Amino acid sequence: MQKLPADTMDNFQTVLRFFLNQKATIGYSFMALLTIGGERIFTLVSFQCPCNHDQNFAYGLTFLLGPAAVLLVLGLFFSTKLWRLYTGCCLNPMKLSFTSIFTGACVAPIMWLCVALLNGTFYECAVSGLDDNLVVDLFCKNKTMKCREELARVPCDRSKLSSDERMELLLMFRAQSQILGWSLIIIAAVVGLLGTCYTNCRSKVSYLQLTFWKRYVEKEKERFDAYAMDYATKLAERNLQSFFENKAPEAFPFPSHKAWEEISAHYTFSRSEQCYSTLQRCVERTDRETPPEKRPVLDSEYGMEMH
Amino acid sequence: RVPASLKTTRAVMDKFKTVLNIANQQTNLGIGMVALLTAGGEQIFSSVVFKCPCSQELNFVYGIVFLLVPALALLLLGYIISKKTWKLLTGLCCPRKGRSCSWRRLFATGTVLFQISTTALVAPSSWIAVALLNGNYFECAMTGVNASKARLCGGKASAELCQKELFRFPCGRGISGVPDADKDDVLLTLRAQSQILGWLLIASIMLSNLLLGCMARCASPISYLQLKFWRMYAQQESCMIDSFSAKHAKELAERNLKSFFNGTPPEDIKTPSNKDWEKISSLYKFSAKDHYYSTLHRYVERHKLSLHMRHFNKAER
Repeated sequence: MQKLPADTMDNFQTVLRFFLNQKATIGYSFMALLTIGGERIFTLVSFQCPCNHDQNFAYGLTFLLGPAAVLLVLGLFFSTKLWRLYTGCCLNPMKLSFTSIFTGACVAPIMWLCVALLNGTFYECAVSGLDDNLVVDLFCKNKTMKCREELARVPCDRSKLSSDERMELLLMFRAQSQILGWSLIIIAAVVGLLGTCYTNCRSKVSYLQLTFWKRYVEKEKERFDAYAMDYATKLAERNLQSFFENKAPEAFPFPSHKAWEEISAHYTFSRSEQCYSTLQRCVERTDRETPPEKRPVLDSEYGMEMH
Repeated sequence: RVPASLKTTRAVMDKFKTVLNIANQQTNLGIGMVALLTAGGEQIFSSVVFKCPCSQELNFVYGIVFLLVPALALLLLGYIISKKTWKLLTGLCCPRKGRSCSWRRLFATGTVLFQISTTALVAPSSWIAVALLNGNYFECAMTGVNASKARLCGGKASAELCQKELFRFPCGRGISGVPDADKDDVLLTLRAQSQILGWLLIASIMLSNLLLGCMARCASPISYLQLKFWRMYAQQESCMIDSFSAKHAKELAERNLKSFFNGTPPEDIKTPSNKDWEKISSLYKFSAKDHYYSTLHRYVERHKLSLHMRHFNKAER
């Protein structure tokens, strides 16, 4: 195989590095693509308006809100912040801040709603099943008498209305749906922008230090996983060797419960310290107690187990 | 030199093992994979195997069997695959001395069963949800029910004929007497009901899972990072116990066979006693007082002193 010329490899490396640096953007665009793809698949495969007076509204609404609810719950499941706050909260009830968790989890459902509304299929099915006199009069203004009865059948091909009238109604529904979709997008974008501005305004540190802090937190998390895995492997090996070879286990340092609890707490920056995380704060504290060496003592419970 | 085909086979088997490992762990990724696989399997099953019999007596039973029986099979499979089930059940029937049937033990057993069930229920509920979203089974089942005939066919021009021929609708076109439009209407109504039911099921299961997860995490005696570490440790220990057991078993077998075939007395070998094995086999519950991460760990730490003394006595002799 011929070796690729050096400058092509360099370009490839630059492109790769660019993409790796934009992880968040890529993540969000991927989520958007997934939502669009999912919505297309749904419409093609699953969604068929029943064109029935009683069921249209419920059906359209279920297909609009069901996937949104599922995406919201999935977003909450995958948010580590939520679990970090909730784990062990019965022992130590603290102020739970829901806003930041929810804003993260709300992105996918809002994307779904926007895409579904821009498409228009779900909305037109739901709205054509409405019973309210006010709404039906609004839709059927300047139309024939049959419009009222056949409104529910308009999304399918089987209504008895003339094709022109049917087209008119469909276009009106689609226009309403798309206007609703665009307004949702604009409102979400404005709220997001205002929220980000507010949180950045309230940050206690400057921009560069904030960027460094985010990077540090990421790296610490990565290294924590690697360290914890390594430590767990060593501990498991030591225990198993002691068990199978029937010999005493070597001494092994354990962080205490309190230390673990301290580093699991949520970190808020404070100007007086130079710490970037709860871990650093715990480690750098001068009055940190060393975990007492646990000497195994033959207590009465152990004595009972022998029999 | 290893041939290329063997290398690729080995690589594929490794990847497969990693996938199985991920699916077996109780992580979000594993559960998502199981759900997706079940959904794919259901689609294939329903397009290839399912054919509504279109008979008055069989429709309902056929539809319900296809909906529920594979779900039951997946549930049982979920119970069988989980290691915790076997850890709980092994030796449960033989009453041992010192192991009284107290309420606390029953409660602990119940909690563990509940945990195993929540993981085992992922595949059956995905099956039922995807089957309902598809609509075939529900359609077939409901066209065989007498009670819904009047409601489905009501208000149509050919109501009487529709009610009589209702069970033939899922099979195709060309049913004499009933216009295609009416037939499509009925089928679409059934399909819509099925899909609404499916979405409600999915949403309620996910919400209840989230609430249960929150409650379980809230009641956990340890913090988030320690829980994460505990899971890593439990996984590593369970992986390594397999390899250590295999190594030890090989040594013990070799020693026994050598002694048998050579007619020599067997050499001394250090192997854990019955009591030791029993001590490390129970399921571990984390308590805030100790810093042990498993029953094996607790046993090893508590026996430190007795083992020290044993070595000391041996050395003295």
